[in-house]
Order: sequence, then C-alpha cells, then structure tokens
Amino acid sequence: MFFLKEETKIITMHPSYFGPNMREFLIARLNEEEEGRCTGDHFVICVMDMVDVGEGRVVPSNGCAEYTIKYRAIIWKPFRGETVDAIVTSVKPTGIFTLAGPLSVFIARKNIPSDIKWEPNTVPPQYTDHADQVIEKGTSLRLKILGVKPDVAAINAIGTIKEDYLGPL
Amino acid sequence: MSNFLNHDYGSEEEDDDFNPAPVDDSDAEDSKVSDRRPSPEAASDDMKYNRGSAQDDDDAKNDDEEEEEEEEEDNENEDDEDEDEEEEDDEQAVERPRKRRRGGVHSFFEEEAGVDEEEDEAEDEEDELAEFGTEMHPDDLDALPAGAETDDRRHRQLDRQRELDATMDAEKQAQMLKERYGRNRAAAADALVVPKRLLLPSVNDPSIWGCRCKPGKEREVVYSIQKRMEERPANSRNPIRLISAFERGNIMQGWFYCEARRQSDVTDALEGIAFYYPSQKMTLVPVKEMPDLLRVSKSEELMPGGWVRIKRGPYQGDLAQIEEVETNGLMVTVRLVPRLDYGMNDDSAAVPAADSKRKRTAASKNKPPQRLFSEAEAKKKHSKFLSAASGLGGKSWNYLNETYVDGFLIKDMRVQHLITKDVDPRLEEVTMFARGGEDGVANLDLASLAETLKNSTAEDSYQPGDPVEVYRGEQQGLVGRTVSTRRDIVSLQVTEGELAGQTIDAPVRTLRKRFREGDHVKVIHGSRFLNELGMVVQVKDDTVTILSDMSMQEITVFSKDLRLSAETAQDGQVGIHDVHDLVQLDAATVACVIKVDRESLRVLDQNGSVRDVLPSQIANQIPSRRDAVATDRNGAEIRNGDTVREVLGEQRNGKILHIYRSFLFLHNKAQTENAGISVVRTTNVVTVSARGGRVGGPDLTKMNPALVRQYPMGGPGSMQPPQRGGRDRLPGQTVSVRSGRYKGLVGIVRSADSDSAQVELYSINKPVHLPRDILVPKEYSDLAPLFSVLFILMHSLVRFQNGHWTLEADPLLAFRLILALGPRAAVPGKVAVLPWPWQIHPELLRGAVHPHERLLVANLDAPSAAPAWQGMIGARTPAWKNESGRTPNPAYAEGNRTAYGNLGGRTPAWHSGNRTPRDPSAGHDAFASGSRTPAWNAPGSRTPAWSGGMTHHRDQRDFDDAPTPGGNYSAPTPDGFGAPTPGASAPTPSGWADSAPTPGGAYSAPTPGAIPKRGGYDAPTPAAYDAPTPAMGVPATPGAGYGDDDGGPRYDDGTPSP
Repeated sequence: MFFLKEETKIITMHPSYFGPNMREFLIARLNEEEEGRCTGDHFVICVMDMVDVGEGRVVPSNGCAEYTIKYRAIIWKPFRGETVDAIVTSVKPTGIFTLAGPLSVFIARKNIPSDIKWEPNTVPPQYTDHADQVIEKGTSLRLKILGVKPDVAAINAIGTIKEDYLGPL
Repeated sequence: MSNFLNHDYGSEEEDDDFNPAPVDDSDAEDSKVSDRRPSPEAASDDMKYNRGSAQDDDDAKNDDEEEEEEEEEDNENEDDEDEDEEEEDDEQAVERPRKRRRGGVHSFFEEEAGVDEEEDEAEDEEDELAEFGTEMHPDDLDALPAGAETDDRRHRQLDRQRELDATMDAEKQAQMLKERYGRNRAAAADALVVPKRLLLPSVNDPSIWGCRCKPGKEREVVYSIQKRMEERPANSRNPIRLISAFERGNIMQGWFYCEARRQSDVTDALEGIAFYYPSQKMTLVPVKEMPDLLRVSKSEELMPGGWVRIKRGPYQGDLAQIEEVETNGLMVTVRLVPRLDYGMNDDSAAVPAADSKRKRTAASKNKPPQRLFSEAEAKKKHSKFLSAASGLGGKSWNYLNETYVDGFLIKDMRVQHLITKDVDPRLEEVTMFARGGEDGVANLDLASLAETLKNSTAEDSYQPGDPVEVYRGEQQGLVGRTVSTRRDIVSLQVTEGELAGQTIDAPVRTLRKRFREGDHVKVIHGSRFLNELGMVVQVKDDTVTILSDMSMQEITVFSKDLRLSAETAQDGQVGIHDVHDLVQLDAATVACVIKVDRESLRVLDQNGSVRDVLPSQIANQIPSRRDAVATDRNGAEIRNGDTVREVLGEQRNGKILHIYRSFLFLHNKAQTENAGISVVRTTNVVTVSARGGRVGGPDLTKMNPALVRQYPMGGPGSMQPPQRGGRDRLPGQTVSVRSGRYKGLVGIVRSADSDSAQVELYSINKPVHLPRDILVPKEYSDLAPLFSVLFILMHSLVRFQNGHWTLEADPLLAFRLILALGPRAAVPGKVAVLPWPWQIHPELLRGAVHPHERLLVANLDAPSAAPAWQGMIGARTPAWKNESGRTPNPAYAEGNRTAYGNLGGRTPAWHSGNRTPRDPSAGHDAFASGSRTPAWNAPGSRTPAWSGGMTHHRDQRDFDDAPTPGGNYSAPTPDGFGAPTPGASAPTPSGWADSAPTPGGAYSAPTPGAIPKRGGYDAPTPAAYDAPTPAMGVPATPGAGYGDDDGGPRYDDGTPSP
C-alpha cells in the first residue's frame, strides 16, 4: 500500500558545498540517497518535497555541516494479503520468482493451483495448465502476498496465485 | 479412630454366628441386621469406587482431588457430629425399603448378588416367587421332598408365563423387552454417572490397615491371604473377616494393605502368614488417603499403529510401527524398514544364517541403510534363503527366517525390547512407513503420529509467546499466546474471541502451535531440517509446509517443531561455521559454505567443485572483508554486494558475497543448487549494478562540482588550499627587496617567520627585518658566476654587424651557455636553429655587461624557460604578481614589463624591473611613459586595452582580420600566437620600417625573436627579416623575444603614436 510519509533525515554536507546552491545540493543528495531506498520495512518511491530544512550545524573537527531535513515521500509498504501485479523474473521447479516493483515475491509450488503444472521441457521452461494460462519469464501475474519478511535492506515476500482472480493476466 | 471402632461395635455379635443369617431373627434384631447390611453396601460401594479409581486417568486427576477434598470435608463434618446412632438410623431409613422388599431371609444370597442394586422386573418377580419360600428355613427347603406343592405351583406359574409370552406377538414382545431392558440400561447408565465423590470412602466404610512384610514379598503375602480366605470362608467356623487385601508393588515396598472393619480381624487373619512382620505395628490408613492408595497409574498401552523404537539388535534405535499387540500384552508385532545388505558385504563363503552372531556384530558395526525389502536384490545372492509366502493381501516373502510384507519387515518382539516412551518419531522416519512412496505425508496416519508425538511433547516445545490454538476439549478453537508452561499445563493468554485478554490453562495435549501462511519460522527440533529458516507456505492441521529461505525448497514439518523466528539473517548455523561463510580449506583453497549439516559442511570451493568436509578439515574461517575490491572484465571496480554477471559460460549472475583474490563467490537467490552460491573469476564478470549506486571510479558526486572543475585533479585533496609544504624555504635564500627603503638591495635571509624575515643585505652589512611579501627570492643566484664569466666572454666576441650586435662565441662556450640555460628554457629547439656565428641582441649584452645587475641577467633564462608562462603573463597579470616561490622570475617579469614599456629605449628587462627604466632614452618616451603601466595592465586583462589602443591602426585591422586574434593573443602558448602572426608579420616590417631609424632596428630584432619560437614562422618571412637576427634574438635574449611577444602589440600601439 502506498503512503505519503513524512520523514526526517540528516544529511552531512562537505564544506565545499557551502554556498548559494546549497539547497539544490541538499535536494540532490536527498533524492539520490532516499529514492529507491528500502528500509526493510518499506520502499521509498519518491521524495515529494522538503518540508523543512533545518539550519545546518557544523560538526566539530571536520567542518562538515549536518542538516536535518524533514521531507515527505511516497512510500510503498507491502502487506500480507495485499494483491499486487508482478512480472515473472524466473521460473524454477520450486516455484516462480516475480518482481512486484522493487519487491521480489516468490510463489512456491504449493501456492500454484494444482492444474498449473511445471513444464520443464518447453523453452523457456514454464508453468502451464496446457490451456490459456502460461507462466514463463516475463509473464505478468496478479498475486496475493502471503507473507513479508523484512531484511536489513531488503524485503522478501512470498505470494500465492492459488485463489480466484489470481494468476497470469 | 475411635469413631470407627465405636461404629463397628454392633457387628461383633453378628460375627459370632457365621451361619447363614437366621431368617427368624430378622424382625427382632432389626438393628443387628441393619448393622450388617451396610457392609455389602459398603463393599459394593468400594468396588465401584475402585472401579472408578481404576478408570481414572490422568486428566481427571485434578477433578478427583477436588472432589476428594469436598468429600473429606463432608466426612469431617460427620466425624465432628459423631452421632453413631443417628447415622445408623439414617442408614436404616435408607435400607429399610430394600430390606422389606427382599426379605431378611436371603441376606446371604443378597450379599453375593448385592452388586445389582437395580433389579429388573423379572428379577423382582423372581424375588417375589422366592419370597414364597422364604417362609421356610433354607435348610428346611433343602429338606423338602421333591414335588412339593410349592414347586408345582411355581412350575405352573412358569408355564403360564411362557404361554403368555408365546401368545404375545413378537412386536409386542420386543416392545416390552425394550421397555424393560432399555429403561434398565438407562438406569444402569445413570448409575455409572453417579458422581465420583459419592463413591469415595467415608468413615462408615471399612478401614484399611497397612502392614509390614518382607520387601519384595508383598504379593506372596497377599496370595497367602487369599489362600487362607479360601480355606476359611465367611461361613466357616473361623472365617477370615478381611474384606480385601492388596499390595502396591514397587511403589510401597514392604507394605501390604488389608481392608477390614476392625483391627483384630486383621491380626486374626494375618496370624502365621509367611513374610508378614507382626512385630511391626500396623497403621490405619486415614480415610483421606485411601483413594491414593488405590490409584492406578495407567500403564503404557500399546496400540496398533503406534510408534515404538527397538532397543537392541540390528535395528537398534530404529522406528517401528506396531502392527498387532498380542492379547497377553507381552508380545508385539512390529513393522520395520529393513536394513539389509542381501549378502553383498558378506564373505561369499560365509553363510549368513550359520554364523548369525558374527553377522549381527558386523551389522551393528556397519548398519546397512534403511531400505524397503527388494526381492530382486535378495535373489541375486541369497535366493536360497528367499521363499515366497502366499500372503492374503500383498506379497509376502520369507527371507532369512524373517517375514517381509510390502517391503517391510514384520517381526514379533517382546515388549521389553521396545522403547515405548519418548519415541518422538521424526517425520522423515515416519514417511518411510508411508505406503504411498514419495509424497508420503498424505498417506500417513497423521492422527496416530500426532498422538504419539503429543505424548512425547517436550515441555520446551512451548515457549512463552508462541501462538497456540486449542484444538480439542472444551476450549476448542481458542487462540492465544503462551504465557508460561508448567510441566504439561500451558497458560495461554487468549488473543481472539470473547475471552480475549484472559489467561487460561490448557493441557499440552489439547494445544498445537498456530502458524499463518507467511509467518517466518525456524525449525527448532525434531527433524533433519533443524535450524532451517523459512516462511510458512501451507498449514494443514499439525503439519506445516515451509519454504526454506536458503534452499527455496519446501519442507514439511510438524508445527510443534517450529517457532516464530525474528531472525532476519539467512542462517542454518551450527557451530562456528555459517552458511555463506568463506573458509580456508588449505593454503591454496578457499570455499564457501553452502550447507551446514549436524556434523559436516558442504562447501563450494574456488574451483567450483562441491565437497563435504568436516569442521575439523577447515583450517580457518576467512573473515569477510568489507573493503575488498576487485576489478571486473572492464576494469570497473567491484566490491562485496555488487551485482555482477558472468560474461562467458553459464552467464550466471548474482551478488558478490566474497572476493578472494581473483575469485568471486556470488549469491543468487533464484538459484537452488548450492544454496544459490556460485564461483566465478573476476575477469569473467561485468558489473550489473553496484551497491549504493556506485558507478565505478571515485565518487565524484560527493564533491562540489564547481570545485571539481577548478581542480581537475579531483579528490578531496584539491579542496585544501595549496600547501607550501614542509619547511619554510626562505631562510638561506638570496633575495632582493622589492620595495621600501631597501628596495633593490640583495641579501640573504637569515631567518623568517610567517610574515617577516631577517635579511642580511649584501650592501649594508647588517640584518634588517623586512616583511616577507617584499622579498623576492633569487633562485638561480648559484649560476651567477658562470653567467658573469660567460657574458664577459661573450662580450669579447660581440661585434656590431648590419646594425645588429652579433656575438661570436666559441662553440664550447656556446654549449656551456646552452647547458646553463637549456634545461630550464627548453631551448634546445631554438638552439638547434641558431646559426653560426651567433648573434645576440645588444640589449642582452648591455644587460649582461651591466656591472651590477648580473644576477638579473642570469635570470634571463627564465623567460625563455617558461614561454608558456609568458603567454600567460600577457593574459593574467595577477598571476604574475604572485610572489609564490614557484615563479622564480617575478623580478624578471617586472623587468619585462618595463622593458616593454621601454621597447624603443632598449632597456633590458631588468632595468625596468628595478624601476629604473630608461624610458627617456628613446623617442618613444611618451608612449613608454604613457603606456608603461596601463599598457601593461591592459594586456593583463586579456588585452582589450591593447586592442583598443590599436583600433585605428592598420596593423590592428590585420590582427582583427585574423581569425581569432584575441584568442590567439591571449592564448597561453606561443604556438597559438605563432599561428596568426604570419598575417601580422607581413605588415610589421613596414611598420617597423617607419620606426626603423630609431629603435626600429633594435626593435625589429626582438619581433622576429618572438616569432622564432616557432620555426614555422621563420620560414614564411625570412626575407622580411634578417635571417640570422630573429634566431639570435630569441635564444640569447629570451627576454627580448619574450618582451616582443607581449610587447609586439604594444609596440604596434606605440607605432601609431610617433
């Protein structure tokens, strides 16, 4: 689910940046460091704006300045039970690896409908029910997130397509 | 105690007449009878109680205890009141109806049949019938002659009854029977439901005495009592008045118990019993403790389908399933997965059956793996031991005197040889028993398995915080989290439903752990997947399928073996080595751990081969180096955590886990083999993405771009102001003073600080303090002697020729001159074009011979040394003004400056440098004086002033016509200047021609001097110039040449003015 979240970040600027363009530097740094970041809890999709740039404080001993920046960002936090669309990145006998945006979701064999079978002999290998449903690399899937496992700087999730209205689009 | 004794008084008399109770007495001795009657009642109660207690199982324990307590309270109350008579009356009141109904005569008979309290109607009828006979004494009855009238009557009655039955149609009969027995059954059922506490013994019941005997002989004692009771039955002359005797075996060694009304009965009965210790006082068991005395701990009940383990033999420790339990409970038929080698490992000579003993030892040493029986294999070598048996269902084989059915070994074993407790079957063991094969879980009798597991549930399988669910019992469906566990009782806090928030207790047996799909769990025990982490994919009753984080494989385990895991790391850690660790196998081999088993590790070494090693084979663990860096195929920097792709081969890709020399260990989640690890060479990969968006090379974004531009060297170092570096070099140097009172004087710096220096001047023999910024170091002072000599020599060879001063020097001297100048001046190119005899600009000579300024002359090399710099001077005056140590020639430059001003005046550079311009010497006076500084300054600002000055001049137009005059002019390199010059040079001669008379000649010389810097220039306009002159001018008098560079325009400026 997407949220608009207000967050705070401390950015350290080298003295060489001190000058009239400082704000631009700060924005550039903020965007560069925050956008696309995964906290282990959510993904920062986009920095909307800076709400407040605090005054810089020079750090003793190295001359850098610390800026405490409050900004608003669009974040995406995947939830258990959330239905998302994903793209298949690889297909293995154990299951299907997909990417839902930045989130990698694994669909275990148990969570694939029993009529969709592993077909290793095709090129590329695929899961198929020998009818209109074919799941191979690049297929778009609609899946439901079963569980989310936060990691230090990544999120891993498992999903299912073993429900109504789920599966290849 | 006394109560009991008192209570029992009445029966004493009764005891005496052991004969069948006389019927006649019944009325008269009501009280006696009533006294006697309770005994069977009590006995029956006891029996019931015993039965009840025997039925007690452990779950009822608590209830029982509570009930007992209640009961005991009641008892105590009664004890307190202690009114025997009253109680007796009560009992009479209770018993009276029955007594009336049955009649006192048959009390004896009743005693035996007294168990049946509820008699059905038929019996009642019979009773009634019997009552006919009760009028007579039993003995008399026996004595009655056959065919007595009463008998006849009864026979007829029976006949009538039968007739009646026969006439009734079957339906009615059934109805009646049903009515009769159905109700009775219900009644009987009711009787069973009598609350247990009512069955507990009370003070009115016989007492139990504990007696001592020889330990271990308890049972014998009881048997001998039994025997004695048989010998002396109740109706005998000297009956044993014990109601029961029992012992508790091992629990109470040396004790046995007798139930009797009075202690004397016990002593009587036990007289002379072997192993009984009459000397030791017998103890009365308190009523309270009686139930405990008879509590039976349920023995392990073996059920077909249950799981056991084998204690000994070749199958020691193996799991077995109970097929059948013999009725005697001693023998059990079990099903085992055979461990057979079919004679493959035996000596071909040895007959397995013959030396079974030896075989067993061998087998126990090296057990063949568990595999289902295969007759094909058995036939290979042991066909003579194999015989097919005709089974009813499946095929059955007899091999080496064992029976194999469906591949399993069916074996009869004694219970003693089985481990029945804490069997704890593991799922993978159990799956072997599944008849379905691969996907065995479905075929398993999971219920029985779960049951076995429940019984062996370890206390530690529930830890506080575990989510649990009550799945059976009254509280079925409750969901909560465990709060604490005590033995097999778990307290849980309900999290859902109406009871949410409450804490309730539940026995472990009724609980199971609750997981939801997507939970991240860890296998905590009971399986070979120990310590595996994964996410729950499927939950089905007690079994949970998880998806291993590491292998991405599905694992099915029991929920009791799982715990919620908060660990985020991918681990399967056992011991010190963890999956994905880099370990050193030997000096040349490193490997990455891909699997950790209980005792061994599976590693992928740098050559890509997978092997199993023992932890002892690992030399050491290589700590992960964060800063390890390597370069990929393209030379880009790669570090741990970067994603790379293999260029050739399998095109594997992955994140770099370890960098070891030229090997990379990559991890790819989507790869199942080797736990996602692969090894590649650095030269065979390209970077796909770098961690943290590093693109390779130093991170320039960290730098202020503006500064980066300014300091092309890059790096944070360029941030710092330029450092003078090291010690102060000023002390000891020869300097000249640039301004102030001592202006122009030369001296040696004795000492210096950051802004002032103590200078010992040559001329004034005393040290003076001067500000540093007016001191100008003279770096080449060490060459001064050489130059003085040189120039003296030169002077001697100079002659005036064609209006030019010409120097003719000995080549050797010339060479020395070049040597002195060359290295600094990059003159060689110029020297090469020097014609012989050399010509030297007279200015130089003048400067050279100037007695007092030799040093400056010596410095003449500097301008030619840095022509580029010269160009820049034209462009950048400020730089020129620097007195940094690096620009050795500011003084000279100053000289130049003035020299330019004095172009016409032939003033050597140094003259003007010292501000002693000889401006007045020429007709260019006005120009020189007017333009001296400003003109100079103008070029300093990139010559706008200069060009402004020239605007009206034709030459200037030429310059203007030149493609990029300004640019060229200001271009730092003379080359740049050289390019446009041809255009300029064409007009110049004419201009000079004008001015030729005066300084022109002298001046024209320098001009070409500027040009000769580029040989190319010489070529086009040799005619215009004196061939020798230009060449001469440059090398020898770079200053002049130089001056011309900058001065040329100024000269042009000047030219119009005159």
